[in-house]
Amino acid sequence: MTTGALYLQQIINGLSLGAMYALLALGFTLVYGILELINFAHFNVFMVSSFIAMWALELLGLSGQGVVLTGFALVGALAFAFVVTMVVAGCLGVAIERLALRPMRAVRGTAAMITTIGVSYILFNAILLTVGAESKNFPNPMPSVSWEIGGATLRLREVLIWCVALVLMAGLHLFVNRTRLGKAMRATAQDAEAARMMGIDVDRVIITAFFLGSALAGAAALIFGLYYNYTSFIIGYSAGLRAFTAAVLGGIGSVTGAMIGGVIIGLVEALGGQVFAVRWTDVIIFSILVLVLVFAPTGLLGRAAPTKS
Amino acid sequence: MPNPETAEDQPRQMMGAPYTWMLRASPLQWVRPYWHKPLGLTTITAGALLFPIISRNDANIDSAANALAFAALALGLNIVVGFAGLLDLGYAAFFAIGAYTYGAFASFQIEPAWSPFWQPFEWLGLVAHMGDVVHFTVSFWLMLPFSAAVAALFGVLFGAPTLRLKGDYLAIVTLGFGEIVPIVARNTPSVTNGAMGLNGVAAPQLFGWSFGVNATPYYYVGVALVALLIFCSTRLKSSRVGRAWMAIREDEIAAAAMGINRVKFKLLAFAMGAAFAGATGTYFVAKLQTATPEMFMFPVSVMILVMIVFGGIGSVWGVVLGALILQILQSWFLEDLSQWLHVLGRLVHVDWLQRVELSSSIEMIFGVILVTMMLYRRQGLIPATRPVQALSMTEQTAHVGSGGSSHNFDRLRGLGTLDREADEPLLAVADMTVRFGGLVALRSVELTVPSHSVVAVIGPNGSGKSTLFNAVTGLVTPDAGQVRFAGESITRLPPHRVLDRGMARTFQNLRLFPGLTVLENVMIGRHARLSTGAFGALLRLPGTKREEEAAREHCLEILSVFGNRLLPRVDHVVSSLSYANRRRVEIARALASSPKLLLLDEPTAGMNPAETQELADQIKGLNQLGLTIVLIEHKLDVVVRLASKVIVLDHGEKIAEGTPDAVRRDEEVMRAYLGRSVAVA
Repeated sequence: MTTGALYLQQIINGLSLGAMYALLALGFTLVYGILELINFAHFNVFMVSSFIAMWALELLGLSGQGVVLTGFALVGALAFAFVVTMVVAGCLGVAIERLALRPMRAVRGTAAMITTIGVSYILFNAILLTVGAESKNFPNPMPSVSWEIGGATLRLREVLIWCVALVLMAGLHLFVNRTRLGKAMRATAQDAEAARMMGIDVDRVIITAFFLGSALAGAAALIFGLYYNYTSFIIGYSAGLRAFTAAVLGGIGSVTGAMIGGVIIGLVEALGGQVFAVRWTDVIIFSILVLVLVFAPTGLLGRAAPTKS
Repeated sequence: MPNPETAEDQPRQMMGAPYTWMLRASPLQWVRPYWHKPLGLTTITAGALLFPIISRNDANIDSAANALAFAALALGLNIVVGFAGLLDLGYAAFFAIGAYTYGAFASFQIEPAWSPFWQPFEWLGLVAHMGDVVHFTVSFWLMLPFSAAVAALFGVLFGAPTLRLKGDYLAIVTLGFGEIVPIVARNTPSVTNGAMGLNGVAAPQLFGWSFGVNATPYYYVGVALVALLIFCSTRLKSSRVGRAWMAIREDEIAAAAMGINRVKFKLLAFAMGAAFAGATGTYFVAKLQTATPEMFMFPVSVMILVMIVFGGIGSVWGVVLGALILQILQSWFLEDLSQWLHVLGRLVHVDWLQRVELSSSIEMIFGVILVTMMLYRRQGLIPATRPVQALSMTEQTAHVGSGGSSHNFDRLRGLGTLDREADEPLLAVADMTVRFGGLVALRSVELTVPSHSVVAVIGPNGSGKSTLFNAVTGLVTPDAGQVRFAGESITRLPPHRVLDRGMARTFQNLRLFPGLTVLENVMIGRHARLSTGAFGALLRLPGTKREEEAAREHCLEILSVFGNRLLPRVDHVVSSLSYANRRRVEIARALASSPKLLLLDEPTAGMNPAETQELADQIKGLNQLGLTIVLIEHKLDVVVRLASKVIVLDHGEKIAEGTPDAVRRDEEVMRAYLGRSVAVA
């Protein structure tokens, strides 16, 4: 491949990763926007969801890359997997909020965040202890259709990933900006106390935020599986931190910011690995995280710097 | 009439109950309280020293030595998280830095070519000449403090960019640094041998005898290390340094306003915590004789965090206990429990019971412990603050000395005296302008405060009164204007320097340190007038002791200004006090800094008429001693009674100035307060 084609290929890869990180980043941003809480459990909600997605596909008799579907069968199978994964992941998020985080809401300081680290650990080990440490082959029923563009390969799965991500993000955008509950969410994010006084059921808003965020993590997890063809108990941490960096870069609390941040981080990861070496990718991403937080904590589109101490 | 304080003190009585019950159940009831501490220390020391002799099992001693390393790490993280309230999620990075520092100077990893440059080092015994390369052989005992110093340096380096960040964001940045360090270690194999781990790290030697792979000597070094760190932690905690950390933890803004240099003390906390980890890293690597990047990743940082949460954040003995219990659980108990389950499985012919390996679920157990502690017992096994006995009914309802009479003030004479009496006013604010975005909060405000006077600032809500205080004391940077205080310009000085110059303040919405006691709050007010630093606190020489004792005396004198409102409650946590008493504590805290000028922001807010009267008398008393006072006040009777001059602000502009009577008749003032139509009519 020529250098140009190589970079084009990395841009295609980066956009796919970016779509996944953006969906995952939305979960951080929705919860942070409302509770000013960094939800570490989100990392492993994503990881658990990837197993849910795998099981959902296996339920349809799909395993490994042996079975290839086309036409309506393919669309139906993927739609089923997306719906099941997103609903189960959403419910997991709601359960975490209800059981572990609601009692911490009145506690000032970092106690709630420490609790989410504990929840994250529990999810991580629940999978490690039940499923085991070896990584699993993720079913991929998509036919290997691909197109040649300027020397780079664009595969069907990439197009699918972009379409799903765009539909979900557009849906979330419409939900937040056009619906009554969406308006309640925006009001709560501005001032929970005032929203409560205006008759908004803040508990319901928070549950909605956790459900939506976790459901999007579910979609991201399915995309991860389709993209990499495997899943494992350790995928939550690095994907989660990249997505969190994306949320911070876009401006945490901002829905549009999370989408833009996700795409940027995806591109940075793909191109950074190309320009430097893959083993330094993590350092590049963490450096972005640290630099943004220290020098521009509002990110690209965020509101004023966090005031919570 | 029911005392308003009674209701709030009730839960404290109940909180005390289990402790008295525990005391009654334990053999300690036959021992005089005076002997509790020395007896406990002796028992713990004897137990720790005799353990290897009793145990005789090398594997157990080895696990205990590892547990001690984690206890040392927990003590270090406790300084950063527990004392200073800076949540550090990348603490293992400093452990790694300490470990690799020792690894670099005491292994076969780095071997530069021999040149005469190394000759002096060979004479000193730091390197050896092996063939044509240099072999580093720096002694473990030298490396222990050296690694601590290197780690402390990195603590400052990593801490510096995070200074402006708060809470969660600080945690994320530290997590980022915590990840970068092991990745760099893995990717720079020339120094660290990468993922393979360091080769042939030298074992420590003592008088020519090498520790080798025998666990017992390491165990004793571990005991000594933990004992040293416990000693340092307790000394720091109960010193000026520890109080400054706790003040920053409880309320950063108030800490700055009370004269605490936040930058300095936060960096000190990072450096101190990192130093503990650096020394421990050296110890751990010397013991294992290798180091790999995996030993220092995020799970290790979380494990140390779980230990201090479990033991009690901020509690020195608590975190040691937490670390020891969790480590010992991991290395002994889970193994044994698994064995028992295997036997049980064989007996009842249950297949999966025979295969259970509980030790692999240790991280799950950590997660469960973390969540459970956070939900049900946030203070941990041994809480950092112990509840005090609530006041008895008689004490609570005892006659309240008004405190306004002169005898209470005898020992406070000298308060408010100036270094030199000058003709110019004590405080002169000129052309002060503050903007928040498009809003002009203050527009070219002038204010002069003559020495030994009381000046009141009044005005409707939102007229910029508190902003004026904030701009004068450095909490808000003015867009324009000068502040001269006691003959010098203090414009744009940071808040802690302003307090140092002799200007102390209170806050409209109370900014006490809610988790600390009354006396601790007031002692923090004294911070700027004391000089003990970290080394002074550790050594506690007679001078330091005297300073601390004198400060305590002085603070009690100040509390006596309020009669017996606060004196019986000096050891109570301020969040348990009534609103009026909290206001009094805040004034006492400001007075403790021996100010020349006291700024009071609505001191009587939330007080009933009798309490307002009492406080007005006390403020009058303070002024008669010579203290200059500026107060923001809405209650006009208080203003008329105390102030010799009144400034009226409206929409950020000064609209009137004069004696209380003159201002009261001013048409502009009436319009500001009552609206245009009334003034015209």
